[in-house]
Amino acid sequence: MVDAVMTGLRSTGVDSSKLKRMSRLRSGDILFNWVTFAAALMVLVLLGGVIISLIHGSIPAFQTFGLGFLTTQSWNPVTEKFGALAPIYGTVVTSIIALVIAVPVGIGIAIFLTELCPPWLKRPIGVAIELLAGIPSIIYGIWGLFVFAPFFQTTIQPFLIGLFGDVPGLSSVFAGPPYGIGVMTAGIILAIMVLPFITSITRDVFDTVPPVLKEATYGLGCTTAEVVTKVVLPYSRVGVIGGIMLGLGRALGETMAVTFVIGNAHKISASILAPGTTISASIANEFTEAVGDLYTSSLIALGLILFVITFIVLAAARIMLARMNAKAGN
Amino acid sequence: MMQTAVAPNALPEKISIKNLKFFYGENLALKSINLPLYEKKVTAFIGPSGCGKSTLLRVLNRMYDLYPKQHAEGEVLFDGGNILAPGQDLNLLRARIGMVFQKPTPFPMSIYDNIAFGIRLYENLSRSEMDERVEAALTRGALWNEVKDKLNSSGLSLSGGQQQRLCIARSIAVRPEVVLFDEPCSALDPISTSKIEELIDELTADYTIAIVTHNMQQAARVSDYTAFMYLGELIEFDETSKIFTAPGDKRTQDYITGRFG
Repeated sequence: MVDAVMTGLRSTGVDSSKLKRMSRLRSGDILFNWVTFAAALMVLVLLGGVIISLIHGSIPAFQTFGLGFLTTQSWNPVTEKFGALAPIYGTVVTSIIALVIAVPVGIGIAIFLTELCPPWLKRPIGVAIELLAGIPSIIYGIWGLFVFAPFFQTTIQPFLIGLFGDVPGLSSVFAGPPYGIGVMTAGIILAIMVLPFITSITRDVFDTVPPVLKEATYGLGCTTAEVVTKVVLPYSRVGVIGGIMLGLGRALGETMAVTFVIGNAHKISASILAPGTTISASIANEFTEAVGDLYTSSLIALGLILFVITFIVLAAARIMLARMNAKAGN
Repeated sequence: MMQTAVAPNALPEKISIKNLKFFYGENLALKSINLPLYEKKVTAFIGPSGCGKSTLLRVLNRMYDLYPKQHAEGEVLFDGGNILAPGQDLNLLRARIGMVFQKPTPFPMSIYDNIAFGIRLYENLSRSEMDERVEAALTRGALWNEVKDKLNSSGLSLSGGQQQRLCIARSIAVRPEVVLFDEPCSALDPISTSKIEELIDELTADYTIAIVTHNMQQAARVSDYTAFMYLGELIEFDETSKIFTAPGDKRTQDYITGRFG
């Protein structure tokens, strides 16, 4: 085929040095294709490898406890009775607390930066957000444990306990005593950690809204609040949700800072002020002392569950986006 | 430099621009403009790119206020009140002076909501009243027959020309007094363009209209008055028929005969 083309070209009088160069370029192109394809393939291989090793490692735990592993609260290394419910609960609840705090604040910052902020203040706030994202999680951990938790224990926790103490339903959610460390403390630290992600992505997608569309909205006589809620947010919803999901992904998997402030108790309490644990905190805390195959396997099974939760979150985000797009008609 | 012709027939001035200067940062973009916009007439702004005609339009609804480095000096009297004065209610001003942009700007919502959105800002209407208003606006925008069966589909699903008519309908739905058109047809095909020109013609019965255009035939077709601008100055303002048949300034003549710009 190539020969035929070349002969055809040769017959039309293209000089041979040019042809040679062309064929060298063509083989370079084929090589280039294969190299990029191999790089892409590597992602699939790595992902597959991680999944397989997680599944393989967790087989003993699931063989011993069955699906009851997911619904059992007890975690007893001495009697080798393990259940993942408490870490799953802690992971989900801390992430929810983090998002409940970080999403409104993050979107608020982004709105302020893109729509309202005077130019001289834009850069300092922008840089501060990037710096916040760059702080290693261990620093959040020690700050959370030594500075924030005691402060939380002496001021905000007693206030919350007092405030909701007589409210039916909420009184058990905010039941004392104030430990300082606990599920809510971890959630707040996580909120601070995911805030920069949500803020910077939201800000970037807000910046992609065409100025003329905003002008058209202002041109009808809308206030900034109306422009943002009716046009900017609907227009950029895909990106905003992407930012929130990235934040959620980070919150679900965050290990070090959470381990410091959550209290590492394998139990589910009605109160979000009580100590708890998360999947990643349990793994990080206990891997070194995990003696016995069943203990290790149970920790790996926790890892697999975290993997699945993250996957479900991503899938749910996709489905949600598809639904929203279908509703908007594009 | 100024050759603002005094209109022989004393038409009521809806907007009077007096000694208007406009700055992009340090750059002077409009050099002391004096110009009337007569009530229920179409005034066209023509001139080569960068002459300041769009800038002038954006002063009239204070759109430039969104950008901190831009400011205007002078006076723009709208029914006698200076819209450049501090403390203006910009939302009210923009409700009274609507704008249609170069590119169609449908909002990311249904066709119905695109129209109802603006109305809801100012009026609390029942569902049936709202339906009537939306239909009236879309009819006025010469779009009703094309969209009446798909009011719930996205405004983005329409063609470019339909989107632009949707935007015009949206602007007039809030019942402004003045409508500003910033090159409304530059992104449209000839058929859509002629539809929009017809529409502008019909709108003069009720609205004062200012239109920026690069298309001289369009200016000649749709406008009653024409202002020719060049390098931030108003070179000539007169009735459209005079500008296009007997321009008073050499530069106007050169421009409309296509010798520059």
